[in-house]
Amino acid sequence: MKDHTLRRVYGLFLVIFAILAVIAAYALRSLNRSVASTDWVNHANAVIYEAEGTFASLQAAEGALRTYLLTGDARDRTSSSEAYALLDEHLETLKALTRDEAAAQAHVERIEALLRARVGFAERVETARAASQTASVQALLGEDAGSTAVGEISREIERLVALQATLLTERDRQAFLQASTTRWVVGTGVAVNLVLFGVVAWIIRDDLQTRKKLAATLQASNELLEVKVKERTAELAATNSQLVAENRERRWANQALEHQLRYNQLIVDSVHDLVFVLTRALKVTRVNPATLRVSGREQAELLGRSLGTVLRWNATTPLDSFGANDPLAASLRDGRELRGQPAELLARDGRAIAVILSCVPLRDRDKVVGGVITLQLTPASSTPSAA
Amino acid sequence: MSKTILHIDDEEEIRHMLADMLGASGYRVLSVGSRLEAIRVVERDKPDLIIADLQLGEADGLDTIESLRSLMPATPVMLLTGVLIDPVVARELLEPKGIVYLEKTQPMARILDEVRRLLQPAG
Repeated sequence: MKDHTLRRVYGLFLVIFAILAVIAAYALRSLNRSVASTDWVNHANAVIYEAEGTFASLQAAEGALRTYLLTGDARDRTSSSEAYALLDEHLETLKALTRDEAAAQAHVERIEALLRARVGFAERVETARAASQTASVQALLGEDAGSTAVGEISREIERLVALQATLLTERDRQAFLQASTTRWVVGTGVAVNLVLFGVVAWIIRDDLQTRKKLAATLQASNELLEVKVKERTAELAATNSQLVAENRERRWANQALEHQLRYNQLIVDSVHDLVFVLTRALKVTRVNPATLRVSGREQAELLGRSLGTVLRWNATTPLDSFGANDPLAASLRDGRELRGQPAELLARDGRAIAVILSCVPLRDRDKVVGGVITLQLTPASSTPSAA
Repeated sequence: MSKTILHIDDEEEIRHMLADMLGASGYRVLSVGSRLEAIRVVERDKPDLIIADLQLGEADGLDTIESLRSLMPATPVMLLTGVLIDPVVARELLEPKGIVYLEKTQPMARILDEVRRLLQPAG
């Protein structure tokens, strides 16, 4: 996978994990809030229960007190005392439950004050009854007849209950909002993560497709390269074969040329007449064996020398006697053959050998480049004269 | 199956070059340097074509060809020589005997063409 694709995938996974972490943290926080909310509901219900229990205990105690006032029975007094004790327990519980709530605590304090006053009244009546002070009891009850103490206690307790109910409603609304927010956060997070997963999948798929395309391109390129290599190899092989054939042909041509030269040499060497090959300036470039044999000279004595050093027209006429009109020079200059000219070859031992000279100009592409002199021995050649 | 060619020449370099060229063209080449060897090869291998030089050291090429033709009368023969003979005269002399004349100065391609022509199936 390409580096930048890998970086993008890693980056997206990092974002996905971050979102998951946020969701988890938020969900945990919501869960804790939910647990706290449940505790508080239970607490509020407990407060309501205790408040209502307090009032019920008050009513029970008031009933027991009145029964005792009517009967004067010690057992009824005990029942009344127990009912007030229970009332006290409810009150203490209520105080404990509301000690962290200022508003509820204010209600409870008022309730407590009212209840304490009520309990004080009950104790006074009860004491009067126990002392059989009927008039005192009647007076106290008469005072109480117009009292609204119990009603105030009841209303205060109702206020406390109403306060708890209001708080419950408020908490319930907050819990609902919390739950909605949690759902929204979790849902949004999950949706975003799903989208991000989709993006990751798309990036990977895109990368794989790109890789497939690259692989296909590479394969096609390799195949093309292979074809080209094969073609080039075939071309090189063909070129090599052609070079080998050309080389072979060249070697064959060389041997043919050598063969031909050898034969030509053989033919020239086999000629009985004396042969000189000359430049246009009458310099000797080649002689045949017959020339060396008849003249008694070495090849080195003749090659590169002027023909006039070994040949003359006669005893008094060297070759260059006529200058530009010399027949041999004219023959080479004009490209005309010269035949049957008497001349004398000067042998090394000083003899002058009579010969018949012929000259054939050598042409190379219409240009006279030299000539071939043949000297035919005459019958007089066998009786040479001194030079 | 590749055709077999018997090449007779007393020059080793010529034998080598011709064998190289004909071998590269797909022929089986048997190269010998003397008349006696040539007769042995003809008896043993029955070549499809005989190429001979005119000069074979101790022997004459034409005599050698005559000897070989007596053994294999239907086998085509090419006289490949460096001895300078007038081509017209050579053809007049050799063609009636069914012998093709070529000079060694001819390019190899020309020699190969002639070999192919001689080895073409009849008809």
